[in-house]
Amino acid sequence: MDRSEATVTTLGEMSSTRRRWPLAALAVSAGTFLASCASNAPQDYFDPAGPNAEKIDTLQRPVFYIAGVVALIVIGAVGYIVFKFKDRGQDIPEQSHGNPKLEIALTILPAIILAGIAVPTVVTVFDLNKQDDTECIINVTGQQWWWEYDYATGECGGVEISQPIVTSGELVIPADTPVLLRVTSRDVIHSYWIPRLNGKRDAVPGRLHTLRMQADEPGIYTGQCTEFCGLSHARMRQAAVALNQADFQTWVDNQLEPYTAPEAGTLAATGEQTFIANCSKCHQVNGIANADGTPVLSDPDLYVVSGVAPNITNLMTRTAIAGWTFDLINEECRDALWTASPDEFGAMYLAGVTPDCFDEAALRDWLRNPPGMKPMYVDPNNLDSTGGKYRGMPMLNLNENQIDELVAYLLERK
Amino acid sequence: MAIIERPSAVPATVGAGGTTELVTPSRALGAYRRPVSTTGWKSWLFTVDHKKLGIMYGAVSLFFFLVGGIEALLIRLQLAAPDNTVLSAGLYNEMFTMHATTMVFLFVMPMAAAFANYFLPLQIGARDVAFPRINAVGFWLFLFGGIFLNTSWFLGGAADGGWFMYSPNSSALFSPSHGIDFWVMGLQITGIASLVGAINLIVTVLNMRAPGMKLMNMPVFTWMVLVVQFLLLFAMPVITVALFLLSFQRNFGATFFDVNQGADPLLWQHLFWIFGHPEVYIIILPAFGIISEVLPTFARKPLFGYKFVVFSGAAIGFVGWGVWAHHMFASGLGPVSVAVFSVATMLIAIPTGVKIVNWTLTLWGGKLWFSTAMLFSIGVIVLFTIGGVSGVTHAVAPSDTQQTDTYHIVAHFHYVIVGGAVMGLFAGFYFWWPKMFGQMLSERLGKWNFWLMFFGVNLTFGPMHILGMQGQPRRMVVWPEKLTGDGFFDLAFWNQVASVGSFVIAAGVLLFVINIFYTAKKKVAAPLDPWDARTLEWITSSPPKEHNFDRIPTVHSLDEFFHRKYEEVDTENGPKLVKVKTAEEVLAEEEANADHHIHLPSPSYWPIVLALGFPIIAYGVIFNLLLTIVGTALVLLAIFGWCLEPSVADDSDYDPPAGGDSTKELATLG
Amino acid sequence: MADIAVHEEDHAHTEHGGYDDHVVHATSTGLSNNKLAMWLFLGSECLLFGGLISTYMLYRGRHEGGPGPSQIFDIPLTSVSSFILLMSSLTMVLAVNSAKRKDDRNTNLWLVVTALLGALFVGGQVYEFTAFYQEGLGFTTSLFGSSFYTLTGFHGVHVTVGVIMLLALVGAITRNRVTGDKAEVVEMVGLYWHFVDVVWVIIFTLVYLIPS
Repeated sequence: MDRSEATVTTLGEMSSTRRRWPLAALAVSAGTFLASCASNAPQDYFDPAGPNAEKIDTLQRPVFYIAGVVALIVIGAVGYIVFKFKDRGQDIPEQSHGNPKLEIALTILPAIILAGIAVPTVVTVFDLNKQDDTECIINVTGQQWWWEYDYATGECGGVEISQPIVTSGELVIPADTPVLLRVTSRDVIHSYWIPRLNGKRDAVPGRLHTLRMQADEPGIYTGQCTEFCGLSHARMRQAAVALNQADFQTWVDNQLEPYTAPEAGTLAATGEQTFIANCSKCHQVNGIANADGTPVLSDPDLYVVSGVAPNITNLMTRTAIAGWTFDLINEECRDALWTASPDEFGAMYLAGVTPDCFDEAALRDWLRNPPGMKPMYVDPNNLDSTGGKYRGMPMLNLNENQIDELVAYLLERK
Repeated sequence: MAIIERPSAVPATVGAGGTTELVTPSRALGAYRRPVSTTGWKSWLFTVDHKKLGIMYGAVSLFFFLVGGIEALLIRLQLAAPDNTVLSAGLYNEMFTMHATTMVFLFVMPMAAAFANYFLPLQIGARDVAFPRINAVGFWLFLFGGIFLNTSWFLGGAADGGWFMYSPNSSALFSPSHGIDFWVMGLQITGIASLVGAINLIVTVLNMRAPGMKLMNMPVFTWMVLVVQFLLLFAMPVITVALFLLSFQRNFGATFFDVNQGADPLLWQHLFWIFGHPEVYIIILPAFGIISEVLPTFARKPLFGYKFVVFSGAAIGFVGWGVWAHHMFASGLGPVSVAVFSVATMLIAIPTGVKIVNWTLTLWGGKLWFSTAMLFSIGVIVLFTIGGVSGVTHAVAPSDTQQTDTYHIVAHFHYVIVGGAVMGLFAGFYFWWPKMFGQMLSERLGKWNFWLMFFGVNLTFGPMHILGMQGQPRRMVVWPEKLTGDGFFDLAFWNQVASVGSFVIAAGVLLFVINIFYTAKKKVAAPLDPWDARTLEWITSSPPKEHNFDRIPTVHSLDEFFHRKYEEVDTENGPKLVKVKTAEEVLAEEEANADHHIHLPSPSYWPIVLALGFPIIAYGVIFNLLLTIVGTALVLLAIFGWCLEPSVADDSDYDPPAGGDSTKELATLG
Repeated sequence: MADIAVHEEDHAHTEHGGYDDHVVHATSTGLSNNKLAMWLFLGSECLLFGGLISTYMLYRGRHEGGPGPSQIFDIPLTSVSSFILLMSSLTMVLAVNSAKRKDDRNTNLWLVVTALLGALFVGGQVYEFTAFYQEGLGFTTSLFGSSFYTLTGFHGVHVTVGVIMLLALVGAITRNRVTGDKAEVVEMVGLYWHFVDVVWVIIFTLVYLIPS
C-alpha cells in the first residue's frame, strides 16, 4: 500500500508541473485552428453570421477547447508513461490493485467539468427554442429533392406581404430580423440546415417543427439537406439570402408583380406555348393563361409522389435550380455575389440572373435530360411502386428548338 | 492447424470408476445416428465445441470485415474528388448502408462473439458453454443471415436506406427494390443468433464458473462480455419489434409508417435508437475487455482499479439505456427531452473516462513490453480518447444540431469503433492467437500492421473532423466543388487525405491477412506461455484440449495463473516477486491430477439444419410464400430431431479409443 | 425460440453432471441452467411486448377510415376468454405440483386441461379477429388495425406455441421420453405459460379496458 501511495504522489507532481505549458500552447494552437476556419468553406459552422448560430458557437467553443486539452493531457500522459516505464530490465512491479482515493478523485473531476458544461447547455437549449419574439413566419417544406418556401401573408420584418409568396431553393429573409421557420415535409424526412445561421432541424412528414433563423447582415448563406432522403440526397441544397429592409421590400414587390406575357412574335412567346404544353402540368407560373384567357393551373398531385413541383413564376430571381444544385449564373458572377460586401449584396442579388451572368449550359442540360443530371427514379417503365407517379422531373424528350424557346421564355421569369 | 478432432471419449485412465457413474440418457429416438466424425469437414459442420465455433465465428467475421472494408474503399474512392463518378447515386447509397450494416452486425459483433465463445468458458474454468447446441445454432444463424443479407447484391440490389433505415424513406414507395426486405430479414436472423447467444453466455457465466471463481475474480474480458450479453438480451427484442413492423408494412401492407394514415415517423427512430444506443456499447465493451486483459499482461501488474473498471462497465451498461435520444437532437423532440438526454449523455462520459484513467494508471509503474497486442491496446487508449472527447462535444445538444449528420460525427464514431473496437479486436488476435492455434503470429509483420492501421486511422478519420466542421454532410454521393473553400481547410484536400488514409488502413489489414497465412505456413510452435500471462485460459495446452482443462482449476484470486507462477520473496531490498514455477510446471501439476471421466456434449446435425430453415423462410417472404412453408418445415423437423436427441451421446456411440494413451491422443490429433 | 430453450433443458442437467462424474458440482447460482435461461428469455420477451404495447398505445387512437376500439371491442366476450386463460394458469400450477409429486397421470391430465383452455383462448381470438374483420377492421385498414392485430397476434402466437409445447410434453411423458428432471421440464413450460398469461392481463387492461 505504501508504495502505491508513493507512486500516486509522483504522478500528482508530474501532472502539475507538466500541465501548465502544454495547456497554454494548446489553447493558443486550438484557438488559431478554430479562428482560421473563418476564411474557408461557406458552410463552416464555427463562423456564425447570426445570433442563433452565435449562441451555439459561444457554447461549443469552450467545450472544444476543454475536449482538446483533455485529449492532449491523456495522450501526453500515455506517451510519457510509455517512455518512462518501458522494460529496461527492471523488476516485476508490485502487484498493487489500485488506489480507491485517487480513483474516486479522478471520477469526480470529470463529473465537475461535465456539470460545468451541462448548465449552459440546458440554458441554450431552451433559448434556441423560443418562438415568441420572432417577427416573420415562413413555412419551409421539404420534398424529394428540393425545398419549398411559403411566405404567409402579413408582416415580415416590417414589410407587408399582401399575398402568399411561394418560392424554392433560396430562402429570402430580412436581415437582422428574427425569423421563425415552420419546417415540415411532404414525403420522407429531410433536415433544414444553414450552418452559419443555426443548427439543423428535421423536416418530418406529419409534424411541424420550428427553427429560428436570423442573419446579422445581408448576404448569402448556403446549406444542405442533412437527413438522408433517398437517391438524390446529395443534390438537395439550399441557401438563405438576407436582404436589408428596403431590398427585402423590393424583393417582395417583385415577387407579387402580376404576370406579363412575352411580347407576341418573340421566341419567348413561342416558349410560353411550349411551356404550357410540356411543363405546366407540374410547374406553376402565377398568372399564365391560355390563348382563350383561361388560367393555366398545374396539378402536380397527379404526376409527382410528393404532390408538388417548384413554382417558377420568378425563376430568374434565383441563382440555382433543381434543389439549388445547378447554377443559373456563371462562376465569376457567383463568386462576386457570394463574396459581396453587405452593402453591395442587395443590389447585386436583386439584379437577378442578368444577361451578363446567365450561364445557360446547366439550364439547357436540365431541360434536355433532368435525370441524367440528378438521379430521381423517373424511369417511366418502373413506376409500379409509386402508382405511376414520378419522384422528380422526368425526361420530356424536348428537341433543341423547344429548349431554345423555353430558355427564352424562362429568362423573362424575373 | 492443430485442432482437437475427437470428442472426449472415456479416457484410458478411467479404469473401474468411470463406467459405473454414467448419467447419459438413453439413445436418441428414430433412425438418425448422431454425427461422430472427429476429423474433416463434418466435424466442423456438426460441432458443438465452443472453441471450434469460436474459430468459425472469427473466420466468417474476418471475411465480412474484408467485404465491409472493400465497400469502405469504394466509398472513399467516390469521395476522393468533387462530383466524382466512381459509383452511381443508387449504388453509393447501397454501399454506405451495407458498409455500416456489415461492419456492425457481421464483423464487430460476431468477432466479439468469436472471442467470447472461445475464451469466456476458458477464462471461468468451464469445459463448454451451458447450451452447446444453442451455441452452434447461433453461429449458423449468423453465417446464413450474413450470406442471405449479402445475396441481395445479386437479387435486385442491396438495401439503400442507411443502416438506421429511417421511416418513411424505408417504405416500399421510396425504396421499391427488395434490398430493404433482405436487410430486415437478414437482421432478424442474425438477431436470433445474438439473442440465443446472449442467454447462453449469461447462463454460462452465472452458473458454470470454476470453484473459487467469484464474480469479482472474473477476468475483465468475461465481465465486459457479460455486460454486453445483458445489453443484447434487452436490446435485441426492441429492434426485433421495429423490424417486424417494417416488414409487415413492406410485405403485408400494414400502415405503421404511413404518414397519410397518421403514422409518426419518430416511432421508428425511438425503437431503432433504444436498440441502437446500447448497440454502441455492445460494440465497444468487448474491446474494452480485451485490452483490460492485454495491458496488465504486458505491464506485468494487475489492472489498476479492477473494481472500478468492472463497475464502470456495468454503469455504462445501465446508463446506456437512458441516452438513446441523443441521436435525435435535430428530430424535433422538444426542449425538455433534448435537455434531459443531453445531460444523461454527459453522464455516461464519466464511467467511460474512468476506464481510460484506469488503463493509463495500469501502465504507470509497470515493466512495459511492447508486443503487437500491447501496441494495439495503447493505440486504443489514444484513439478512443480522441473519439471520446469529440463525443462529449456532441452531447452538448445545441452544438450537436450543428454537428449531427456531418463528417464530424463520422470522424467521432470511426475513432471510437475503428480506433476503439476494431483495434481492440486486433489486440485480441495478436494476444490470443498462440492460445487458439499454438502458433505465434509474426510480431514483425504485426508491428507493421499496427503502425499502418494507427496512422491510417488518423489519416482517414482525423481530416473528417475538419470536413465536418467545414459543413460537409454525411451520406452524400458527391460534394460540390463550389463549396470546398480554399486555404488550410480546403475540403478537396482533406477528402483526398482521408481517401489515401483508407488505403493505408487497408494495407494494414492486408498485412494481417498475410500474417495469418505466413504463420500457418511457417508452423512455428508457440511457447506454452508466450506473454507470461495472468488468467485461467493459459492454464491449458495451446490450443486447448477439447475438454479445455484436464482438471477444472480451483481459483484463489484474480490473475490466478500469474499467482501460481510468481511468489513474493523477501530479499534484503524488501519483498520482491520471483518466478517460482514455469507455465509448463503449472500445467503439469494440473495434468497430473486430471479428472477421470470427462464426458463432453456430442456433435449434432440439428443446429445447422435448424439455422438453414431461416434464410429459406426469409427468401420465401420476399419471393414466394411456398418457400416459406419449406423453410418452416425444415425448422420444425430440426426442432423435433433436437428434442429427441440427448445432448450427450451414449458411450456406445463413440468409437472406442484407438488403443494406447488416448488422453494424449486427444490433444494432438488433426 | 422458446421451444429450444425448453427442450435444451432435457439435457443440460445431464451435461453438467456428465462433464465430470467425480465432482458433480452445483451451479454457481443454485438455479439450474435451464431455469435461468428461461428467466432470461422471458426478460427479453418483456421488452418485445413492451415495444409492441408502446406501438399500440401510440396508434390506438388513429383509425381514420375504419372503426375504432370503442366501436368494435366486445368486452364481455373478451373477458370470458381472458378468464379462461387465467384459469389455465391455475391448471398449470396443478400440473407442476403433480409433476413434483412424480404423479405422471395427473401431470398429463392437468397439462391437457391447460392446453385445452389455451386452445379455447386462441379459438376465442380467432373468432374475435373474424368478427372485427367483418366489421371493417382489416390489418391494413388503419394504424389502429395494424397495431392491434400485430400486438394481439404476437400474443396469440405465443399462446399457440405454448399449447404445442404442452401437448408435446404430454406426448413425451406418455412415451417416457423426457430425459433429465421431469418436474423441472414441466416447471419450465409452466414459467413460460404464466408469463404469457401475465402479458395477456396487461394487454387486456391496456387495450380493452382503458378507454382511448
